Amino acid sequence: MGNMVGIQHSSSGEKDFVEVLGLREEIAKIQSTIADFETGKKLNIAIIAEPLRGKTTLSSEIERINLNRATKITFSKIVQNKNEISLPNDTKKVVVFDNCHFLYMRKPGGFDIFYEFLDMISSQNRIFVTTWNIYSWKYLNEAFGLGKYFPVQIFIPAFEKENIRLFILKRYEKNEIKFAKDEESEEKPFFYIIKYPVELASLGKKIFIPVPKINVSYLRNRLLKKQKIEAAEDQVFEKLYLESNGNPGIALRIWELGLDYPRIKPKNIGIFSYEVDLEYEEAFTLNLILSYQGLKKSEIAEIIGSMVSVDKILYQLLSQELILKNKNDSYRVRPEALSSVITYMEKLRLVW
Amino acid sequence: MVDGNTSREQLLETLRSVDTQTLITMALIVLIAYVLGRVITILLLKLSEKLSHTGRIKVELVIPIIKFVIYLIAFYFIFREIFKIFGPEIFLLAGLLGAAIGFGLKDLFSDIVGGLVITFEKPYQIGDKISIGNYFGEVTDIGLRATKLFTPDANVVTAPNSLIFKETVASANYGVSEMMVVIDLYIAGESHVETAMRILWEAVVSSKYVYISKEKPVILLHKALPFYTRLRAKAYVNDLRDQFKFESDVHTRAWVEFQKKGIMAPQLHILNIPSIEEKYESDATTRRNLGANVRGLKDSK
Repeated sequence: MGNMVGIQHSSSGEKDFVEVLGLREEIAKIQSTIADFETGKKLNIAIIAEPLRGKTTLSSEIERINLNRATKITFSKIVQNKNEISLPNDTKKVVVFDNCHFLYMRKPGGFDIFYEFLDMISSQNRIFVTTWNIYSWKYLNEAFGLGKYFPVQIFIPAFEKENIRLFILKRYEKNEIKFAKDEESEEKPFFYIIKYPVELASLGKKIFIPVPKINVSYLRNRLLKKQKIEAAEDQVFEKLYLESNGNPGIALRIWELGLDYPRIKPKNIGIFSYEVDLEYEEAFTLNLILSYQGLKKSEIAEIIGSMVSVDKILYQLLSQELILKNKNDSYRVRPEALSSVITYMEKLRLVW
Repeated sequence: MVDGNTSREQLLETLRSVDTQTLITMALIVLIAYVLGRVITILLLKLSEKLSHTGRIKVELVIPIIKFVIYLIAFYFIFREIFKIFGPEIFLLAGLLGAAIGFGLKDLFSDIVGGLVITFEKPYQIGDKISIGNYFGEVTDIGLRATKLFTPDANVVTAPNSLIFKETVASANYGVSEMMVVIDLYIAGESHVETAMRILWEAVVSSKYVYISKEKPVILLHKALPFYTRLRAKAYVNDLRDQFKFESDVHTRAWVEFQKKGIMAPQLHILNIPSIEEKYESDATTRRNLGANVRGLKDSK
């Protein structure tokens, strides 16, 4: 990691996401698999990642690179109609299916489309590049052996700190954002203690471990007489990196929450640790929302089998600020709560 | 050589010399050991509830050991007090104790030895679901004398520890939080088996209580009997406490789907015919499911 991919903007309209992905190896592997297909070796590809890690953007990039031979189909909600997965006549040899975790409904009788999809990708003389939410993928892999249908599996790794910085600053003009030092941090000594956040999966909590730290940037600024603003920027992105675990989507959300345009201070980068306390059915629903990335109320009701319960459950999840409602009426996990939610789900072993 | 009368007199003399302070000290030691054991048990159980499933089992594992160590220390102090009082006459007292154990306290003694065996040999642990004697339930406490079980009917059964010397113990999970559950569904012989199997599979793997991994797979079995068909699913429940919820969840959702797809329950009069095959598998689960299916049929009529 660390090598940036020198490519143009993606066709999806997202701002230069791919430019800072640093996924040269992953893209090369996908391209190599597509090249093998041209010579008669067919291995379907699965791009797998946590929510907001950038799988849609990577798939758009694959489509862009293979413009003349790729067709992209995106699912935005649970697919209920078999026709939605049937390929048009002009479908090219490389088929990119985005958000394949919408191809099943976790209930008896809810896997028919999924079976059709597996049948299609096995029988057609095309290569399929698919994207999956990692939690849906793991579930389907354990229950249905999904991995066998996709011998090439690309797990999107965490961003490095520098990539988080580039990903966010790419959205602004040079020097558009003013990094301001916290008042107290200016007084910070050469040697000080910071609290490093550590997620405890078993306890479902985040604890802060005191870590001794040398104020390198302050020292450097003093020695090289650089502007104080650089240290503030470093601090901002260090906090963003730690809090997001290298997830660009979460980093962006935390950035937006802390930005007082055009100024931002390190202390405005929030530390998000949610006390999750749910009943089992609520936790299961939250797991569904996490696994699908976005679910409508009617879809949740259909899976858990009760509209009455859904109202109560959603109210509980909303009041604990674990989920939010999108403009398209679907519910998703709050990006800033994602880390706490995943830790809690792992504790309950609802995600594997 | 000391004759019998002299020994008895010496012993009685010593017993008369025991002062109140010593008795209070010994009682206090017992009380402190008991209270300490209870407090630590309660605290660790509360802590274990906050942990993950696997973490919970690990914490619960150490509870009997800690209690044993506390009781051992208490015994040491009590024995020291006794030795202080009796000195060499302790051996005379041992004769009396031996007689007492032989007559009245042998069961208590046997339970305590059973407790030690359970603590160190671990035929079961706190948190396990076990069958012992006529009882089945979750082990909630292992004491020095008895083991407490929480049964599916919400009864607390106190089973003496000495039962492990006389009865076979079956642990359904043996120290892990997941547990295999066997779920039987009975359908009419003329129903489409493949569809029914697929529905049962989906009902199991989509349940909120299921735990699936390569080591804990879901297994489906089909058995065609003379007048009806048995479908059996073997799957692991994520938390053994949800065993019956899991079973109920799969039953409910499978039958809803069965009815949509025209899968029928066996006819009532057929169920009244005793089955040659089934009599060998007359476990509680099977009986319960048969009963449920008959009731379902009645309701639908």
